[in-house]
Amino acid sequence: MAISQDPDPNSLLADELTELETIRESANARAAVRVKRPLAPSTYLLRNAGKTLPLTAVIMFAVLLVAAIIALVNSIPYSVRTIYIYSREMLGIGPRGDPEGTQVVLNRIRRESPVHLNRIMVCRATSTQVNSIVGPWPFVVLGLGQDDIRYYLQRQGVKAIEGRLPKAGEAEALVSRPVALNLGLKIGSNVQGPEVENSYSPLNVKVVGIAETSRWIMLNTIEYQRLHHFPPIDLGLVFADNLKDQNTLDHWAEKRFKGKRTQVFAFFQVDRTTDKMFNTLYQILNVVIGMMVLVITFMMGMLINIYQTQRLVEFGLLQAIGYTRKRLFKRTVQESIVVVIAGWILGTATAFGILNLVKIYVMDPHAYAINTLDPTAFWYTVPIPFAIMVVAFVTVVIRFRQFDPVSIVERRLV
Amino acid sequence: MITADRATLQYMDQGRPLFACRDISVSVYSGEFLGILGPSGSGKSSLLYMLSGLKIPTSGEVRYGDVVLSRLAEEERSTLRLRDFGFVFQQPYLLGYLTALENVMVAVPDGGDVEFEARELLNQLGLSNKTHRHPHELSGGERQRVCVARALLGQPKVVFADEPTASLDHTNGAEVVRLLNHFRGAGSLVMVTHDPSMLAQADRIVRLEDGVIADSSISG
Repeated sequence: MAISQDPDPNSLLADELTELETIRESANARAAVRVKRPLAPSTYLLRNAGKTLPLTAVIMFAVLLVAAIIALVNSIPYSVRTIYIYSREMLGIGPRGDPEGTQVVLNRIRRESPVHLNRIMVCRATSTQVNSIVGPWPFVVLGLGQDDIRYYLQRQGVKAIEGRLPKAGEAEALVSRPVALNLGLKIGSNVQGPEVENSYSPLNVKVVGIAETSRWIMLNTIEYQRLHHFPPIDLGLVFADNLKDQNTLDHWAEKRFKGKRTQVFAFFQVDRTTDKMFNTLYQILNVVIGMMVLVITFMMGMLINIYQTQRLVEFGLLQAIGYTRKRLFKRTVQESIVVVIAGWILGTATAFGILNLVKIYVMDPHAYAINTLDPTAFWYTVPIPFAIMVVAFVTVVIRFRQFDPVSIVERRLV
Repeated sequence: MITADRATLQYMDQGRPLFACRDISVSVYSGEFLGILGPSGSGKSSLLYMLSGLKIPTSGEVRYGDVVLSRLAEEERSTLRLRDFGFVFQQPYLLGYLTALENVMVAVPDGGDVEFEARELLNQLGLSNKTHRHPHELSGGERQRVCVARALLGQPKVVFADEPTASLDHTNGAEVVRLLNHFRGAGSLVMVTHDPSMLAQADRIVRLEDGVIADSSISG
């Protein structure tokens, strides 16, 4: 009679342990990347993420900081240019204090203009204010005739109008979408009036239309302005066929009427004035950014020094078994380049992301302008990786020069 | 193969000269196992570093074949060490982020595909199931065996071992020496130790005391 025996529990346990060991080993083997060059820079960087990521993060934050500061500061002059870019389409011209002088000036332009003129119109203008990042900023409400309003809107690229055009002589206005956003205007809001701060008119001027365009526009009718606004002087708006001709005309007019009793308004003047206004700010900014780059570079130098110190045993061992200083230096430089470039790319990408968030949540609701792909901002970040790289190379060179591998393998320096 | 001729290594200690080795003349012959024995501070490690080109004698010279090591530039000495020599140090230094196999492969950076040879060595040293373990997953004896495999990869002409058993117990230490001697093939082995029992398999033993050779004997 066969007697069945229970298996020995100890033997079962040993078998299971061996099987577990085999499974673990084969899992390890599968997980291990087949490395042809164990000392490739990527191997160290990827397997020591705890050490390399903080370095990358510091560079990333430095780049982010510089790019964001520059882009935000640049948004100030950019906003100014955006507010006034409508004036790129025409030359504004008027006599200084002489109501009779407007037609004389316009006739002279008709006769002497260096380019073909597409349209000349007469307008009135009153001053108002819009909001900018740096506070209230002057703007004009143009008073135009009905046909001229249509032409003007077409030149400013208006695709559609919510509401309607203002009626001749009525206390009505049309604004563009950015102005409406900036001043919080809707159809029916008062854009000018006896009690509207910094935008006086004897009657309450209501918004009757909002034009869909990125240009900043505030219009009412010339008839209304002639009835209710002072001084009683018409201005001229002169339109060339295209922007290139317009620029030629604008420069010609400034030169032609220099020293005369005639005032010229052109976009290139806005551009020039803006540059002058912010010149000092940019000089200060350059000093600040320069100091920041210096501080960041110094910090990175110290970090890289600590980073290299942590790897003394590795360098000592490799040099002792025969790796040349040149080979080790090359490897360290390759690693530094990867870390610095990765940090720079991440920094610029993060800056782009954050600036887009600022644009969406802070700027756009008020129609403030910001260029999230501002090339100047990203050019300013370029010295950071170079400065850090130079410091890294110098640090590594000094370290390798003074380095004695025997002190490591003899444990005198460990 | 390697000849030290009146090799002296002198340090300055607070302005006073201190001799690690003085006027040492010794040869390492092709294929032999040379043991360097001596108490702590006798200059045996300094002699090993001079013979391997890691240190340059302050006077006298060390020749490797026809080449005087001190006349080579540092980069040339490094290249020579990488090409012709293997090293095992007191501590089982391994790169923590590499596996056992990768640590062995480090010895031949430009030698093409050495993975097969590295695997074979690890197999022969009893580490076939530990090739993908990282150093922190290995015992002290296993780590030193990985160092032995690294020293032997590429069939070096000379293997230098500086107290390779210092951090191991006697059984593991003896096993490491046995493996070194067994797998060095046609290469020479120069081993420094303060423990005479570790040199039982040596062809010759040089005994140092206070930086000079006290005596030299042929083993067995």
